[in-house]
Amino acid sequence: MTHTEELVRRLPTEMGGLEAGAILRTEHEYAPWEKRCHALANVLDTHKIVNTEEKRRGIEALGTEMVASLTYYERWIVAFANILFQKQILTPEELSKRMSDVEARYSATATTG
Amino acid sequence: MSSHEHEHPHLPEAGDGMPGYYEIMETAVRELLVEEKVFGPGEIRHMLEVMDTRTPALGSKIVARAWVDPAFRSRLLANGRTALEELGIDFFEDTQLMVLENTDTVHNVVVCTLCSCYPREILGLPPDWYKLKPYRARTVKEPRVVLAEFGTVIPDDVEIRVSDSTAMIRFLVLPQRPEGTENFNEEQLAALVTRDAMIGVTKALTPVEEQSR
Repeated sequence: MTHTEELVRRLPTEMGGLEAGAILRTEHEYAPWEKRCHALANVLDTHKIVNTEEKRRGIEALGTEMVASLTYYERWIVAFANILFQKQILTPEELSKRMSDVEARYSATATTG
Repeated sequence: MSSHEHEHPHLPEAGDGMPGYYEIMETAVRELLVEEKVFGPGEIRHMLEVMDTRTPALGSKIVARAWVDPAFRSRLLANGRTALEELGIDFFEDTQLMVLENTDTVHNVVVCTLCSCYPREILGLPPDWYKLKPYRARTVKEPRVVLAEFGTVIPDDVEIRVSDSTAMIRFLVLPQRPEGTENFNEEQLAALVTRDAMIGVTKALTPVEEQSR
């Protein structure tokens, strides 16, 4: 199978049956923003805005390279943003502007604090 | 994004003051959704508090209850979700819970090959290894070898059943009650039930193993 055929046949998240190394029993303490990301997922689900199936498809839609390069909750928040754009709940422009505002707010705190 | 961030896609160093790109994105998304009244201002905080109460200790209590209460065990095996809702444990997602009972002839183990589906309502957030490639890739192909890596040697005449979680169905393994626990109360029994035993990569602890932890 060529590399592109492999990409077509297998979803970026589909791991079942692949060759892989030893299971390293790693665990880490979740960062507060990672927990908030998870809470966001649960709240969006309980409000019937984004269900689990949509979350998974949102991650898959990031494509193989992003799935492989971003950490777990990095993939989640990027996928949520895309899903919220598709559902026209948020726009890319307002998110982009708000991210700049949040960053500016933190910078201001860092300088004055 | 710079190649530097690609090589180190992890969290910013604690104490450097500035949140990373993805944390800023999380904050921005949350603020906008609250402002647009998609959900209330306290809902994320409340959910975080609820999530903090969902740890493997909750799962252990459920298993211990099933070991001592045959009627509850039957309801749990018939429909995991409604049996738990009966105990006041609500679900965050629109998913079903199937409880898989280990016996002398069948050992169950749970995986999610596509992502990280997990019975979070009763076990909390999954361990990292559950979400990483080696466990997801190999468990469906060579479960006996994987279990042996966890120190769990399953005799050849015992069938291993691997259940692959989906967005709609989550699994909880009901381990076998260890021998020598006939006089144990529910609390003592619960102490033998580890998270890994409820994923199925290990068995419940024996009283001797529990003492030596």
